[in-house]
This record gives sequence, structure tokens and C-alpha cells, in this order.
Amino acid sequence: MPVLEVENLSKTFGEGELAVRALREASFSVEAGELVALLGPSGSGKSTLLLCISLIQEPSSGRIAISGRDVWRDGPLGLDDRRFRRENIGFIFQGHNLIPFLTAEENIALARELNGASAREAALRAKELLGYLEIAKRAKSYPGSLSGGEQQRVAIGRALANEPPIIFADEPTASLDTERGMKVMAMLRRIAREKKSAVIAVTHDHRMVEGFDTAYEMNDGLLARRAAT
Amino acid sequence: MDLALKDVRRHAGKFVATIVGVGLLLTIVLVMNGIYQGNIYDGVWLIENTATDLWVVERGRGGPFNESSRMPGDAHESVVATPGVARASPYIAYAAQRTVGGTSQQFTIIGYDVFGGLGGPGRLVAGRAIQAAHSEMVADSRLGLALGERLRLGAREYTVVGLTRSAVDPAGNPLVYLSLPDAQDVLYEQDNFALVAARAASARRLERAGFGPAESARIAPLLAGSTETVNAVLVKLAPGTDLEATRRHIERWLHFTAYTTAEERELMLEGRLKKMSAVLGLFRGLLVLVSIVIMALILYVLTIEKIKPIATLKLIGAPNRVIVRMIMEQSLVLTVSSFGFAFLLLNLVRERFPRTLVVLPEETALTFAVMLAGGVLASLMAVWHALRTPPSLALGG
Repeated sequence: MPVLEVENLSKTFGEGELAVRALREASFSVEAGELVALLGPSGSGKSTLLLCISLIQEPSSGRIAISGRDVWRDGPLGLDDRRFRRENIGFIFQGHNLIPFLTAEENIALARELNGASAREAALRAKELLGYLEIAKRAKSYPGSLSGGEQQRVAIGRALANEPPIIFADEPTASLDTERGMKVMAMLRRIAREKKSAVIAVTHDHRMVEGFDTAYEMNDGLLARRAAT
Repeated sequence: MDLALKDVRRHAGKFVATIVGVGLLLTIVLVMNGIYQGNIYDGVWLIENTATDLWVVERGRGGPFNESSRMPGDAHESVVATPGVARASPYIAYAAQRTVGGTSQQFTIIGYDVFGGLGGPGRLVAGRAIQAAHSEMVADSRLGLALGERLRLGAREYTVVGLTRSAVDPAGNPLVYLSLPDAQDVLYEQDNFALVAARAASARRLERAGFGPAESARIAPLLAGSTETVNAVLVKLAPGTDLEATRRHIERWLHFTAYTTAEERELMLEGRLKKMSAVLGLFRGLLVLVSIVIMALILYVLTIEKIKPIATLKLIGAPNRVIVRMIMEQSLVLTVSSFGFAFLLLNLVRERFPRTLVVLPEETALTFAVMLAGGVLASLMAVWHALRTPPSLALGG
């Protein structure tokens, strides 16, 4: 069963002659453990697709299902969007977006605590993830004192904190050099395989496409599947 | 996880600097409260601490503190003959400025009947009351004089025999007590040059009026103003006396005006103190307002600085209450710590402050409540901004 199903998802901004169709009946599905690339130039609709699937932006029409359960069908289904994201989606950002006043460990533990875990359990999970991501020694460091690659690994740890079925990565390698970018991609592949999370990465970076299971390309709101590499 | 405290811990230096800054502002608010109440306290201290039932002054005048009042030096003798009056004492009070301890200081000289009369100093903190008719003085310790020290006032030197604490005139200046004749001497004493000039002027007026030079020279000294005047007569009534009846008697038959202590106090509050209190009250209100606005801006800026982390929190699913709690808690930490700092600083400077600061606990509590409410209101503005921040702001570079 796919962890994510998207059917005829459309998003239009504005009305009448000023209407902009940012997303045109996009359909695709992603299996658990699949690594999916979402390619396309700026303004092609990649971010809109991501925001719609995360229920940050309301789609105009279409259907979204997570783990077989509809979360959007031509309108909201009364879900608490924040809770939905906490439980189902992990985010990795281009700029890492770590909370600057929390240590690496606290950044990861926070995501777990927000999902109802006790402080103790959240801290244990954070330590475990820091070990898994091989940055345990930086647990007490603040983001400002971490390198870009280390910050990105903490961000990955935060995305994994609640073991979500889907991880969205928005330009995860954009702020990294090639070597570090490759390492992050390898890590995402490893996560997809070992944690069985579907990883959907938005990227401009064609160097990184190699190694994705599936790649989609977006242009003017239209989603098209690219041949797997 | 307490995000507010984590932020404070991480940016301790910035928060301490903010607390000190806001705290200094709140110290000014508290000091202004103290000055406002101190102004009233000082304003009525002398009236409330002079053991008298009636203040008899020149007819139709609001004296002796709000308006000048001149009465014959023997006025107390006719007042004491009024039915119901147990004691009546002459009283004189006037401002003076002299160099004391190397600095020019303003103080008020009180002249009273040192041999059992009313209007003398109350409790002394050192030394004794004036026992001699001349050359002794009791001074307030704020003047900086020590027991046994001598101070020249006019032609004579006066020895400090007693010290009071916080005995002040309505302007907050220290009091100096002298015997009535000494106080009159200091007030009316003129040096020889001034006397010669005054007599020459009188002689010229007499000559213009047709008196011969020899006659004018003989009469002129007699025309000098009397130094036997007083400003008020203080009255103690006999037990069971009808105060109103005594007052009517004094006003009708002696042609003076008599005020009770409560009325004298009211005269002061409605007279000299009214405008000053209004100005201080206005400043106090403005300061509170400015403090709240500055606090609001600081809290707002503290939130704006965190707007991307707030968007990230929303994106990763943090409920609004987590964000609201973070902002409100920081607002509380900032307000409470700043107020605590201000209160501490106030108590440190209180004794060294040049004016009397009267800190009323209920007023301090009210100020705290107002600042707290202001802080909460201010943080609501930041909360409003935070809640309107779209989570999508976290995406992108």
C-alpha cells in the first residue's frame, strides 16, 4: 500500500483573468522506503505541491491520502493540520531551520515532545538519532557552532524523531558543497531503506538525481514522471 | 520543553542587558512614585508634626505656610485669654539659605517659645531641646551639622544642641529650630550700612513732609519696622472645649483667622502642593505609559527575531499554545525580573536620594500590576504577529 497517494491535485491562486494555476491535476504515489526526487525550475510548482500535501496550503481540488487514509478530498476532512504534520511528516529544509536557542539534542527532542513524548523519552530518542547520524559528540552544541553538514544531519534527526511515514526535504543539498551534498543524499537513501520512510526531496540539483528511486519533473504546475536513474 | 527559558539561557547576555535597561526605566517609575508621595509627605510633615489644635494667622490670610502672615508679637497674649484656650504660643517660620559644611543649603528656621511653648521640635535623635533663650539651635540631621557644631546666622553664632531626623519644611528642606527672639533677630537683623541707609530714607521722607533736619534725624530711627512680629499663634485647647466656638471667638473679637490642623493641611494640599502633585502625577503617568510602550516594543522585537523559528515550529506541528506560552513566558520573565531589579535599585538609592522618597507597598504593588498587565498586553501584540506567521515562511533559503 502506498504511504502517499496524490490524485488530480490542483491549486489555483486568484480568480478570473488573474488566476494562476500553480498545480494542475498532479497525480502520483510513493511507497514506503522510496526515495523520490521532485525536480523543476523555480516557480514550477514544486513548493506548492509540498505545501498542499503538508496541508499548509489548501489545495483547490483533488485527493491526498496518507497510509491509506484520506486527509484531503476536494476539501478539508476536519483534520488538525499541525497534529497531522507532527505524526506523518518530517521536514528537512534547505537552510536547516534549526531552533537557534536549542542544542542539537534539544532540537531533535523538541519534535518528539511536541508529539506527546515525555522529556526523558524524547531525550533518549534524540541521543539515539544523534548516534545513528554520527554526530553524538555534538549533542550539546548549538546550531550556530555546527557546520552546515552537521546542522543538516541534526535537521534530519529532527525529521526522523517521530518516525514519520513521509519525509519532505526542501533543497536538502542546496547549501552544501558537492561532497557534503553527496553524504546527505547517501544518508537520505539509508534512512529510506532502514527506516522505511518515503523521502520526497525537492531539488534543483541535477547532480543529486542519481540514486533516487523515482524522479518527477514539474513545469508550470504540471507533474511528469522522469525515467528512473 | 520550556522554550522561553531555553531562549533566555542561550541569550543570557542579551536578556540581562534588556532586563537592566527596562529595570532602569522601571526604577525611574518607582522613584517618581516615591517623589510624588514624598512631595505630599514633606508638604504636610510640619503641619502634621506640630502639636496644635488651631493655627491662628493674620486675618483673611492662608498662612503661615501658603501665604505670608504678620501678627503683632504679643498676639498670643490676647489669644490665650479666649475662653477654651489652654495654651497659645507665638510662632515664626521662614526660609533661609546659608553655606553649611561648605555648600549652600536652603532650610527653614522655626522660631518658637522655647520655655514650654508650642511648635518646637518633636522627637530628637540626639542631644537635647533648646534650654537657653539665646544662641542654641536644634537642627535636622539632613543639614549635616553635628552636636556642638556652631553655625553663623546673621551676627551671631548658634550652637547645635539637638538633632532631629526627617524634620522638613513643605519643600523638603531641613528645619532649624531657634528661640523666638533669636529667630526674629536672624530675620530682621540688618547690618549697620543697611540701617544707616534706611534711616536716611526715612529722614528724607520726613523732610519732604515739612520736618526740619534735626527733627527728622531724631524721629527717623523710631520709624523703623517692628521686629516684634510673628507669623502665627499656635493654640492648644482645654479638654472638652468647643473648637468651633473658640475659633468664632478668635475670628470675631481678635480679628484673626484660625485654622484647624486638618484645614491647614488641606490648604497646603490645595495650594502649594496641588500643581507640583499634578505635574509629578502627569510625569508618573507618562513614564508608566512610555515604559509599557518600550516594553511592548522590546517584546515585539524579541518575537520578530524569532519569527523564522516560530514558522518552523508551526511547520513541524507545534500547537499554538506552545508558541503563545513561549512569548508570554518571556514577557513575564522580562517584566518580573525588570521590576525586581528596579525594586532592588530603588531600595539601594532610597536613603541617598536628595528628596524624600515615600514608597507605599500598595502603590508599588499597583505599579507592578499595571506593568504586568502592560507586559501581557504588549505580548499579545507579539502573539498576534506570531500566530499570523505562515508556516511556509520556514521553507526556502
